[in-house]
Amino acid sequence: MIKNYFKIAWRNLWKHKVYSFINIFGLSIGMAVAVMIGLWVHDELSFNDYFSNKKGIAQVYQSLTYNGENLTYNALPRPLEMELRNKYNDNFKHIVMSSWNTAGYLEYKDIKISSSGSFIQEGAIDMLNLKIVKGVRNGLAELNSIMLSASTAKAIFGDTDPIGKTIKLNSEHDMQVTAVYEDIPKNNSFHDLNYMTPWKLYVNSAEWIKNAADQWGNGSFQMFVQIADNTTMEQVDKTIRLAKMNAAPDDQKAYNPKILLLPMNDWYLRSNFENGVQSGGRIEYVWLFGIVGVFVLLLACINFMNLSTARSEKRAKEVGIRKSIGSNRSQLIRQFLGESLFTVSVAYIAALILVMISLKGFNTLASKEIILPWTNSQFWMLSLGFILFTSLLSGSYPALYLSSFNPVKVLKGTFKAGKLAALPRKVLVVTQFTVSIILIIGTILVMKQIQYTKNRPVGYNKEGLIQIPTNSPDFYGKTDFMRNEFITSGAVVNMATSSSPLTDVWSNNGGYTWEGKPIGFQDDFAFIMVSPEYAKTLGLAFVEGRDFSIKFPTDSSAVILNKTAVEYMGLKNPIGKLMRDSNEDDPDPPLKIIGVVEDMVMQSPYEPSKQTLYVIDKYQASSYYNLRMNPDRSVSTNLETIEKVFKKNFPGLPFEYEFIDAQYAQKFASEERVASLASVFTALAILISCLGLFGLASFVAEQRTKEIGVRKVLGASILNLWKLLSKDFLVLVVISIAIASPLAYYFMNQWIQKFTYRTDISWWIFLLAGAGAISITIITISFQSIKAATANPIKSLRTE
Amino acid sequence: MLLELKNIYKWVNSGGRRFYLLKDAHLQVEEGEFISIMGPSGSGKSTLLNVIGMLDDFNEGEYNFLDEPVHQLKEKHKANLYKEYIGFVFQAYHLIDELTVYENIETPLLYKKISGSERKALVADMLDRFNIVGKKDLFPSQLSGGQQQLVGIARALITKPKLILADEPTGNLNSKQGEEIMELFKQLNEEGVTIIQVTHSEKNAEYGSRIINLLDGTVIEK
Repeated sequence: MIKNYFKIAWRNLWKHKVYSFINIFGLSIGMAVAVMIGLWVHDELSFNDYFSNKKGIAQVYQSLTYNGENLTYNALPRPLEMELRNKYNDNFKHIVMSSWNTAGYLEYKDIKISSSGSFIQEGAIDMLNLKIVKGVRNGLAELNSIMLSASTAKAIFGDTDPIGKTIKLNSEHDMQVTAVYEDIPKNNSFHDLNYMTPWKLYVNSAEWIKNAADQWGNGSFQMFVQIADNTTMEQVDKTIRLAKMNAAPDDQKAYNPKILLLPMNDWYLRSNFENGVQSGGRIEYVWLFGIVGVFVLLLACINFMNLSTARSEKRAKEVGIRKSIGSNRSQLIRQFLGESLFTVSVAYIAALILVMISLKGFNTLASKEIILPWTNSQFWMLSLGFILFTSLLSGSYPALYLSSFNPVKVLKGTFKAGKLAALPRKVLVVTQFTVSIILIIGTILVMKQIQYTKNRPVGYNKEGLIQIPTNSPDFYGKTDFMRNEFITSGAVVNMATSSSPLTDVWSNNGGYTWEGKPIGFQDDFAFIMVSPEYAKTLGLAFVEGRDFSIKFPTDSSAVILNKTAVEYMGLKNPIGKLMRDSNEDDPDPPLKIIGVVEDMVMQSPYEPSKQTLYVIDKYQASSYYNLRMNPDRSVSTNLETIEKVFKKNFPGLPFEYEFIDAQYAQKFASEERVASLASVFTALAILISCLGLFGLASFVAEQRTKEIGVRKVLGASILNLWKLLSKDFLVLVVISIAIASPLAYYFMNQWIQKFTYRTDISWWIFLLAGAGAISITIITISFQSIKAATANPIKSLRTE
Repeated sequence: MLLELKNIYKWVNSGGRRFYLLKDAHLQVEEGEFISIMGPSGSGKSTLLNVIGMLDDFNEGEYNFLDEPVHQLKEKHKANLYKEYIGFVFQAYHLIDELTVYENIETPLLYKKISGSERKALVADMLDRFNIVGKKDLFPSQLSGGQQQLVGIARALITKPKLILADEPTGNLNSKQGEEIMELFKQLNEEGVTIIQVTHSEKNAEYGSRIINLLDGTVIEK
């Protein structure tokens, strides 16, 4: 019996090649999209799975309130560590203090590499359950010990044994390699933890870190914990909530500090905070694409349903015969479901091939390293389930519909299909186009938002600027000298240093008083230390006042504000006003405002610029050199010259640089990724819908061949016939536009609200999407309707 | 008695008026009979045949088939009854286009869940009997009308029904092919199969043992 069904299914597929192609091709695209999105979602959800203690690990955050506005971040003060260890120790298995993961230079003989790593407490090794490849398990016991990841060890030592060797860290510390641990895979936090050095060394390495031990206001450190076995994340989270509030001095209590835990499970997907409460994050995109995947699959299933029911007249006779020779309805239902199972299985194989072909491109687009898990039995189980699900989704309705025919009617030939199924079919087509149009509108808006933000003035000229990281102490005090070296080389027209990269803010400062400051106002500024040529090098325009100048030695205590800071402070005439530290014991003189510059976009391009203070970096201990290259020479010559100058002065350090405009463009990477993925899926959704439409149009043209013939004999022109055949479909698309537009507006309005700097949802987006949908429809169905309209009527009439 | 129809009414409502397809129809059929139903177009011949074959319902009346009250039976029970005892032959043959001759004949057996080896034997017998062994792998479209109808009859006979219902079995055939089919029916009847055929042709009707005339849905005894 089953064999018989498959035979029929196969012969039907073979006989109606166009329909079969549309069915299988459409389904395989839909399934390929679903598989790809499925793999992507799985990849997203399995982030940090490398860590076997994942469930118990958390990062500690603090939430502070400034002027009623809540800020939650993972930068913590050092005294919190002792507070937790002394009073809350029962709750934890491990408490791990860590520096930020920063770039560092590792040097062994004449091999110098730039890598990234952290100063971290030894609890990390067990907490992260690192797999030690060589050396001792606790490799952070001694002050001068360093643990390397396998690939870092390989890069420095090749195949020789690294254990016991001494390498130089940041041209400063001599470190002995104690252990090598397995690389942490990319799909995990800490994947860029290429080396680990003891936290104690960090504490001893700088005065400000040592002093931070009892400064509750100095949030400059990270803390990770693993909770004890006998408790829960929620429990511990609640228990330590007031740890800072109870221990910190009064000036800190004013910010209403709350301590909270962000479980490792949520680091990647749910790391946003709103008013001190976790509020989603990347998980929204996981949901979004999950839904898109389901919808694209649904579109393909709709094609299957529509084409099956449209062709019902052809199958009706078979149903009638089978019923009259003894088949009952459930057997027919099984037969038709079997056919869809067959078709879907074929389509799935095609889908896997499509996935194989396009996975590389998809990985580039989504910046992933996804592979098809051929050898994973779970994958095949899921595939089987997926095939069954798709078969049921696409095959149930046709099976129920086809098996319902009355044998007497169909065998007498009085049966006319189409009428019965016409309404559901129309509803399905409208569903398809509604989904497609929503996707079109969404994609256009995402692109428009990105374009809008990209066109936002950044406040300075980012073309032809490069930055060179200067984290090694070798650079300290050499700013003026190096500036001179670079400029005399001819490759650089100006140079300035900064304590944060131009595209980010690494430090904030507050606690100033100024004339007219409202009482109780908790001030907070982005704080950038620069060399005096900063504004000139960047091309940053002044609104009022003057730039730093070496002519005024007092400029060491001068400050330049950005426009937002002037508004923020409520100053009418800022120039000449003083900003004092609220701490009366502060030995430094107050800052004198000498100038106001345009706002620079340093952080999110979607948010307004933060109020910013620029002061002179007295110690010449910057984080970056910013070089304005000579525009009269080619970029490559400039870079060559700059590298030469760099190597001459810092022979021990690798030459690294980044283009500022490229770095700025990075800010759009995540949204652009969404946009390009969305446009690919939209294109596929449209393709699938059009395939279905094409199939339906050819069916209708075929069904109405006789009518067309008669009309033609009676004098209808080709244009008349084309209109006649196209009208019905166009009406459906217009209905779809009417349904899709408000839905799309609703969803997209919600999406765009998350950007402060946002474009508006213009009417032309809807017009464009609608016009696009209509023209695609016309093109798709015209192919069939013109073919039908131009056919010789004598032929079509004779066949009756 | 094989079957009995008593006071059968069947109607359709259209535009507030009721049209009778069958009106107080009576019929008694004994096993082994060969009955020809005749009558003008629209007199209800095919409807009567479909009612007998349980493919179509009726609105009023009593129908007993082998002492089972068909008018009281559930759909499934009825289906089992006609699957077991009735075979259909159609004017337009109604073979499944996607199946070969062999598979077309085999299909009813599949629905009766008969084992593979037995099916093979039964189909082979049938092919043999109708001299179409050489055509078993052809598709219906590759056969002449007469050959297609032979396959149709073979398919109807494969389940060894007590009753064959034939709706103008020769209607689409030329006279020579038609004659052959009627001879075949006669022979089957002599082997004990009850046959009811609908026909327009006086000549074909003569093959039967009894002729029933229908006019406006009512049986007119002669």
